Amino acid sequence: MRSLTLHLKVLITVLVLLGVLVTAYQIFILGIPVTEDETDDLWNIDAKVEFVANAKDPVKVQMFVPPLNRDYVSLNESFISNNYGVSVNRADGNRKVTWSARRASSNQTLYYRLVLTKRYSNEKTTVKGPTFRDSLAVEGPEKVAAEALMAPIRQHSADVETFVSETIKRVNNLNDDNVKLLLAGDTSSMKKAQVIDLLLSIAHVPMEKVHTIRLVADTPQTPELWLRSFNGNDWLYFNPDTGEQGLPSDRLLWWTGDDNLITVDGGKKANVTFSMNNSEMNAIRLAKLTDENTDADFLEYSLYGLPLQTQQTFMIMVMIPIGVLVILVLRNLIGIQTLGTFTPVLIALAFRETQLGFGIMLFTVITALGLSLRSYLEHLKLQMLPRLSVVLTFVVVLIAAISLFSHKLGLERGLSVALFPMVILTMTIERLSITWEERGGGHAMKVAIGTLFAASLAHLLMMVPELVYFVFTFPAVLLILVGFMLAMGRYRGYRLTELVRFKAFVKADA
Amino acid sequence: MFGLIKTWKALEARGIMGINRRNADYVLKYNKRHLYPIVDDKIITKERAIKAGIHVPEMYGIIETEKQIEKLDQIIGNRNDFVIKPAQGAGGDGIMVIADRFEDRYRTVSGKIISHEEIEHQISSILTGLYSLGGHRDRALIEYRVTPDQIFKSISYEGVPDIRIIVLMGYPVMAMLRLPTRQSGGKANLHQGAIGVGVDLATGLTLRGTWLNKIISKHPDTTNAVDGVQLPNWDGFMKLAASCYELCGLGYIGVDMVLDQDKGPLILELNARPGLNIQIANDCGLTQRTHAIEAHLEALAKDGVKEDAEQRVRVSQGLFGHVHPQ
Repeated sequence: MRSLTLHLKVLITVLVLLGVLVTAYQIFILGIPVTEDETDDLWNIDAKVEFVANAKDPVKVQMFVPPLNRDYVSLNESFISNNYGVSVNRADGNRKVTWSARRASSNQTLYYRLVLTKRYSNEKTTVKGPTFRDSLAVEGPEKVAAEALMAPIRQHSADVETFVSETIKRVNNLNDDNVKLLLAGDTSSMKKAQVIDLLLSIAHVPMEKVHTIRLVADTPQTPELWLRSFNGNDWLYFNPDTGEQGLPSDRLLWWTGDDNLITVDGGKKANVTFSMNNSEMNAIRLAKLTDENTDADFLEYSLYGLPLQTQQTFMIMVMIPIGVLVILVLRNLIGIQTLGTFTPVLIALAFRETQLGFGIMLFTVITALGLSLRSYLEHLKLQMLPRLSVVLTFVVVLIAAISLFSHKLGLERGLSVALFPMVILTMTIERLSITWEERGGGHAMKVAIGTLFAASLAHLLMMVPELVYFVFTFPAVLLILVGFMLAMGRYRGYRLTELVRFKAFVKADA
Repeated sequence: MFGLIKTWKALEARGIMGINRRNADYVLKYNKRHLYPIVDDKIITKERAIKAGIHVPEMYGIIETEKQIEKLDQIIGNRNDFVIKPAQGAGGDGIMVIADRFEDRYRTVSGKIISHEEIEHQISSILTGLYSLGGHRDRALIEYRVTPDQIFKSISYEGVPDIRIIVLMGYPVMAMLRLPTRQSGGKANLHQGAIGVGVDLATGLTLRGTWLNKIISKHPDTTNAVDGVQLPNWDGFMKLAASCYELCGLGYIGVDMVLDQDKGPLILELNARPGLNIQIANDCGLTQRTHAIEAHLEALAKDGVKEDAEQRVRVSQGLFGHVHPQ
């Protein structure tokens, strides 16, 4: 096309690309949900600690709690206990809560509650871990058995990953005499893990025990043991019973190491039961919540970083370009005539306050009454400014009267009209009456209906909640709109109404 | 839907120009914004035209402030007929044509008797900008009332028929005779109900007409045939229109002219956004003609030649003249 110059093409391409890229970045890299309805799972984990306190001793209960440095982020954490002091400390990548009391007796119950969700952004946190360690001391027949096992494992493995899984496979082969010896008749996961640890230590491969909780609603459970090894970049997780590699995504790392979940000083029969349930939450609200609880502030530089009041204003403001786009399409593509260029958008904004049906009714009533006043004023031969002032005052009085009446009648909606922009109405009346005089009543009606239609359409589009959410969350979409508007600036095809207007030509041909 | 696409294709094939194309390819391309005041303000147009020696209706006076309305009597003097116009009016709105006066009263061209006060109010309305584009303050212009040539008697109802020629870079592209009807209230604007009649650029013979977007060949009020009428002094009109390019510098304009029975062709006003109904009146699209002119201009630019108004008229008449009515 001759008129669509290179400059404009480049500009449009750049704008659209920029808009698409920024939006894509927000959706795919930051993982911001595309619709407001998108929800994320919210897990509610309760750990109930029960024990019997010795009557005379001070009580000190220590329990591991999730360190939350991996894929999950805590929204809320509480330690529920009566008469106990609570402190939380970190050690070796674990977190431990300590409940302490000077005096307690008989059955005690403590609660730990954690509300968490998957970490919102998919960014990889860099992890560190040991890649070398010293061998554990082993003597006598165990040493022989271990070395006998090591030889084929070395042969069948290529790297840390295969080495570990090969080891686990061997240890789970209970028919092997060497394994039998090392396990010494105990085939629990704990014992197996110990043996695996031993074998790996001989090869100087570091290994850690990991205790996890499965995020499944309404099933009682105990921590599940996993093994993990660091390969220089990442932790590799292994199931000690099956050799299965990779931690399923529903596992929550609770603590690492050989220690027990709970230690009780001054008490006995300690028992921890886990119960959990999940609920769903609006994704973006969740994101805001997690945002406050983490350092990842990817929402900081979006419109969500604004104060709530301002956010609400912007939710309206970002939709104005959409309304303008409607007018642009209606006028330049369809060819509908409207009063002024952006008056329909302003009327559409006014409809926000009044609701559509009521707004159209009000608009019609006030405009009709205003028009009749205007035509009466015409006889008085007033100058323009005083005449406009009279019409404006009349509109204010009219709106006041409508508000009063509807209030007395118990229609609260009538009060919303107070915010219906009066100047817009006044100008509408003035312009409409001039159009009426100059072009006749038919044309004036056509323009008025066109304006109302455009305003209604713009209003309906500007009120679609999904669209509001989308544009507000991904404001870069507006760049794409600008690209479209620029292209429209050089649109040279016919308007829809012109096809009707020039119909005479087609008939002449037929 | 398919019907619409078919219509679209048919219009495209005939080179019918739509508003979007007119705006994008012609108005925006050829008309520099800063030159608009020359055509939007009739007083400036008139002053320029007089300076260039182009015939316009004689200006009796200008009223710029409310205070000056008092001078109305002085401006009118003892003339019996005159026209009051807003300088920046659009579409013929706000124009008051006084045909006669007796005692203290005036008679408009449509026979309505009005008082002096009503004329003053009209001027006051003009000054406040009621009729101007964008509602700015305006000036009122009082000028000679054109008496249309007798030739139009049979094919027009009241008012003054005028001749509109679209001029691209000084080359007349298409011409139309606009005839007021009863419905248009003596105004020569098509959207108010006037008839547009196409005119052959070479001969000045009228073709068939358009009325309310329909093709017609008879005047609805007088029932006389509007086609086949020979316009007098046609080359004069063409030259007048072509020379308006030098006058205003705008590349794409509609030149409105009248044929006064005493003074011959006069320029009434220029329009920087001429309407598209002229295509229906001529039963011909504008696009092919404008493309032909643009090609011609390109060829001229290659040779480094410039043509004067008379040569341009010849070129246009050669390219677009002698259409055979279908």
